[in-house]
Amino acid sequence: MSYEVMVGNKAAAVACKLARVQVASAFPITPQTTITQYLSEMHANAEWDFDYVNVEGELSSQVVVQGASRVGARTFTCTSGPGLLYMYHPMQGTGSGRLPVVMAVVHRSYKGMQPDHSDLMSTQWTGWSHIYVEHAQEILDSMLMAYKIAEDPRVRIPIAVGYDGYVLSYTAEPVEIPDQALVDEWLPPNKAMPSIIPDEVDQSTFGRGWGGGDPQARWKSHHDAILGIEDVLKETMDSFEKTFGRRYGNGMIEEYKMEDADCAIVAMGTIAGTCKAAVDKMQAQGKKVGLIKLRSFIPFPDNDFKEWADKLDGIAVVDRSICPGKGGPVYNKLRSTLYDMEDAPKMLQFHAGLGGKEVRVHDFEAIGDKILDYAKGGKADPVTWV
Amino acid sequence: MIEIRFHGRGGQGAVTASRIIAIAAYEEGKYSQAIPMYGTERRGAPLTAFVRIDDVRVKERELVHNPDISIVLDPLIAKQQSVVDNLKAGGLVLLNTADEPKDVKLGGDFKVATVDATTIALETLGRPITNTAILGAFAKVTGLIKVDSIEKAINKNFPGRIGEMNVAAVKRSYAEVKGPVQATVATAPETKADLHVGGYGVLKDVSAWRVFTPEIDVDKCIGCKNCWVFCPETAIEWDEETKKPSIRYNACKGCGLCANECPVDAIEMVRVEA
Repeated sequence: MSYEVMVGNKAAAVACKLARVQVASAFPITPQTTITQYLSEMHANAEWDFDYVNVEGELSSQVVVQGASRVGARTFTCTSGPGLLYMYHPMQGTGSGRLPVVMAVVHRSYKGMQPDHSDLMSTQWTGWSHIYVEHAQEILDSMLMAYKIAEDPRVRIPIAVGYDGYVLSYTAEPVEIPDQALVDEWLPPNKAMPSIIPDEVDQSTFGRGWGGGDPQARWKSHHDAILGIEDVLKETMDSFEKTFGRRYGNGMIEEYKMEDADCAIVAMGTIAGTCKAAVDKMQAQGKKVGLIKLRSFIPFPDNDFKEWADKLDGIAVVDRSICPGKGGPVYNKLRSTLYDMEDAPKMLQFHAGLGGKEVRVHDFEAIGDKILDYAKGGKADPVTWV
Repeated sequence: MIEIRFHGRGGQGAVTASRIIAIAAYEEGKYSQAIPMYGTERRGAPLTAFVRIDDVRVKERELVHNPDISIVLDPLIAKQQSVVDNLKAGGLVLLNTADEPKDVKLGGDFKVATVDATTIALETLGRPITNTAILGAFAKVTGLIKVDSIEKAINKNFPGRIGEMNVAAVKRSYAEVKGPVQATVATAPETKADLHVGGYGVLKDVSAWRVFTPEIDVDKCIGCKNCWVFCPETAIEWDEETKKPSIRYNACKGCGLCANECPVDAIEMVRVEA
């Protein structure tokens, strides 16, 4: 075990090295660029045996890792914002082909260079699992776990690990690097699994239609496979803690100071860290509000939220993205999850950090005050732009 | 928690300085966070960077808004009142300037320390990269981090000759820093300059970015037009009749490419006295 003060993007590159990625391919785009630089440097220094494939764009990088993954290689790619959009088409193939690709998505807004979650959010129908992380250590740890989960024979689904550009990609902080031998033991090499696609789906087309059969079965089997991730993810978090001594809640969500909370703030990514600092301040003042950090957006932690909703009076959902004309994706998902509950907690929707707008500790304190008041019967606007 | 704000220009190494402090703090068993403020920064453009140091892992991700310490790597930026904006009462500002702390015109309730980091950098590194030439001064006047830890952090990241040169700059700034003394001007002046000069040279006056100013000796000039071709800011005008260049100084950021490309050394880079 060693330590290094490193930026988020380096944590992603170091995770590739620890996981002994065999094929990496990416096209540089701010704020993801330095991952490709760190990987190129590691390749030039022959730090481990892997192929780094230079390509002319993100579409090709996704196709490269897709092909390599299909023959059993452990693969990595990464991108940001518009680069992710350019990759949208082959991402569908990686998902349908049930290929355990791991991709770092360094969030960049479509309405500017700064981060929001609109890039990864807009790919939620590509059939990938989406994990959102808060700090550099969590990037490294989550990528190792992502390989373990994606390559599990019960899963075989590609995973995107999303983290905020600039705020995290370029911020340097201490990161613990686990021993290579320990990682090797915990994360054995990937194997090709050509028969992972079920019988009711045409295996020869890697999960796409080619006439005949039940065309809906392709979507259903894909959907069911993603729902199955929850158990494997939770199990992986337990074994990760046993081996490396760190954990992030149960993997799906990470609670922070929720023991005595009447209300919860739900947030994802770096702003969840800022929310923790706000929760510290609020609880010191006797305010009973905690944080539920959402880590896994796909699959969505329906079960965990239902359990928490039973104990809570109010939930404030902070979305760092928006489907224009529809609203916050986390808010809408969570509200529909809790729809059938009797005495469901009261909910408020907040938009914060969109287009990279800075979210401060006092913003979260205001959100906390609002939901505490609203849960006690006070009046509040259903939607607030922070 | 201690919060630090750096002011500098692209190329002076503010981001690297923030990381060196974060590494040095971690070497001493403290947690740290080094945050660059990324925008359209490039060589010469004013920029900021931030550091947090704490005994526990830093949770918040907002920028630093009320620093305990402000460190200014550029002598012209050091003259602007904005470098002490929102500094905590009783805080500290460390300036790169040849002035004595008592002669500094910034106003408010804070302490002032000064060091001539540009001269130290030019004499130890041969170029005006002032970051390490202010870090020794930082260690001395704040006592937050041992100068040994800063040297260790530099050697770890820049092994070999570059590390040695920078460690020499650290040692000199540790020895030569003046202050801290209480600011002599008690209240902030009302007029403030804009630190965050954005836009490109063709759109804005970037005269203040220069540490060195190019001066053309037209008698030596052979009219090859190299400077005109290579200037990245199109700051060089070409006179077709005389076949001689001239410089539009408000578009020149002092990068020195023209002097570098001139085959007959007809362009001299002259240091701007701050």
